[in-house]
Amino acid sequence: MNFNSLALDLSEIEKEYPENPLDYFKDKKLCLFKACLEKYFPGVRWGFQDLLEELQLKSTTCKNQSCCSGTFFQRNLITRAQFSAINERNLNEMNQQADIVFFSCNGCYNSLLRGRDFLKTPEVRVKTQEILNSVEKKVGKESYPGKYKILEDPKIKLVHDLDFLYLIRNDVLNTLKFDLRGLKVAVHYGCHYLNLSRDKKTLNSYLGSKTKLEELIELFGGVPVDYQERESCCGWGASQLLINPREALKITFNKLKSAENVGADFLLMPCPTCLYTLSKPEYRNKIEKWFDEKLEIPTIHLNELISILRGCEEERCISLTRKTPRLEEIFEIITQL
Amino acid sequence: MEEHTDWNWEFFNEIVEDVEENKNILQCFACGKCVGDCPAAKVSDFNSRKIIYKVLHGDKSVLRDSDIWHCYLCERCTRVCPKENINIPLLIINLRNESFKQGYGPKYNDLRKYVEMSERFLTQGIVLEEPLGEKLPQERIDELNTICDFARIKYVFKASNEKQKIRKKKLERKK
Repeated sequence: MNFNSLALDLSEIEKEYPENPLDYFKDKKLCLFKACLEKYFPGVRWGFQDLLEELQLKSTTCKNQSCCSGTFFQRNLITRAQFSAINERNLNEMNQQADIVFFSCNGCYNSLLRGRDFLKTPEVRVKTQEILNSVEKKVGKESYPGKYKILEDPKIKLVHDLDFLYLIRNDVLNTLKFDLRGLKVAVHYGCHYLNLSRDKKTLNSYLGSKTKLEELIELFGGVPVDYQERESCCGWGASQLLINPREALKITFNKLKSAENVGADFLLMPCPTCLYTLSKPEYRNKIEKWFDEKLEIPTIHLNELISILRGCEEERCISLTRKTPRLEEIFEIITQL
Repeated sequence: MEEHTDWNWEFFNEIVEDVEENKNILQCFACGKCVGDCPAAKVSDFNSRKIIYKVLHGDKSVLRDSDIWHCYLCERCTRVCPKENINIPLLIINLRNESFKQGYGPKYNDLRKYVEMSERFLTQGIVLEEPLGEKLPQERIDELNTICDFARIKYVFKASNEKQKIRKKKLERKK
């Protein structure tokens, strides 16, 4: 069985399609992984879908896909084998309908790669297959061959939205109606993008600096600003906001404050979970109460920002009703004629 | 810290028996890079080096301490560790599991969100109230429930249902 990483090999695509990497995707079936937290930020999914459409790429979502369940594994509510079984169920369903799956969420991307990683351990692999057998026996209907089997060398490949958008950045640039007008932008990659080794082939790509967001900001006419807490966590920490909220929000506070201190107009990130933590009004209010400081820096997901720059309708790209401080102001600055 | 005079492999062997990758913590030479770069260490007493030390010395007080519940599972330690295969987040998840089994860990009140999330996953296949777009078909939800048989997520869900029933009964009695 092949348990090599299912991450799409971007360097191979760059080699094969040096003129225009977008061509690689044109005859592929594409699927968007549905991250639970996109519910709060629908522009993260819709904006990305619209962009693919404009680039003449057809995409779908998978009706039978569940939550990645990473949050339950991290909270000790399911075992590694159960986590891997949920993962295989999702991968199997998506493998039926797509060649490439896109991820807007660091957590989901990490989970899908991690579930597969666990199967390298023989004991976990045996238990996972036993669980899938019990599903087949108890409730399963085999609507396609191998539905309840661990995938052997699957064709499906996984890619993070940020990596894809960076790969085809020149095509993205051609779709933009507006630019960033010299706005100062601080970036937050998120731990499970920044520290992830499962999708890296070389040591340098794992340990080296990550600068894709900064490069995209420059390309879009903005000014990336460095800040002390650039690589720090958003404060989510799996269960930390629940069991140690004051400590967790101290991390969130430090991050936001550090970005504000360098004069950033907004904070840009590639993950809706980090976005939730860094923007939720309840958390901002608690930060003000606990640390005596009101922080108003707006926060935006990369997919939402590209949609704003493409001139999409507000509700299609970004939900301003989410009450993130000063978000409307940023929207107006970018879209003024 | 419980008394110990030297290395003690009993606890270590238990942890390795559960998750084989944990054997790699033997490579730890206590350089402390994991602690220096750790988000939790900046805001709490969380100290991954100390936790590894305790495990390698058979000090089971690590399961009672609140320390293991401060980790953010951000994997930063894995990135900065000069050794290749030490997976501290996986060790922490394993220790938390042991801690749960022995009745330690966060209190129920802290875990009420866990209950809500567990319920949503087992009834809808997601962690939020509603999905963005179509709902997961019931047949698929049944599959998830079977996968989660005997998992802690099911016990948490069942316990919450039992509590709800008791609360309802009490309310009815009051009426």
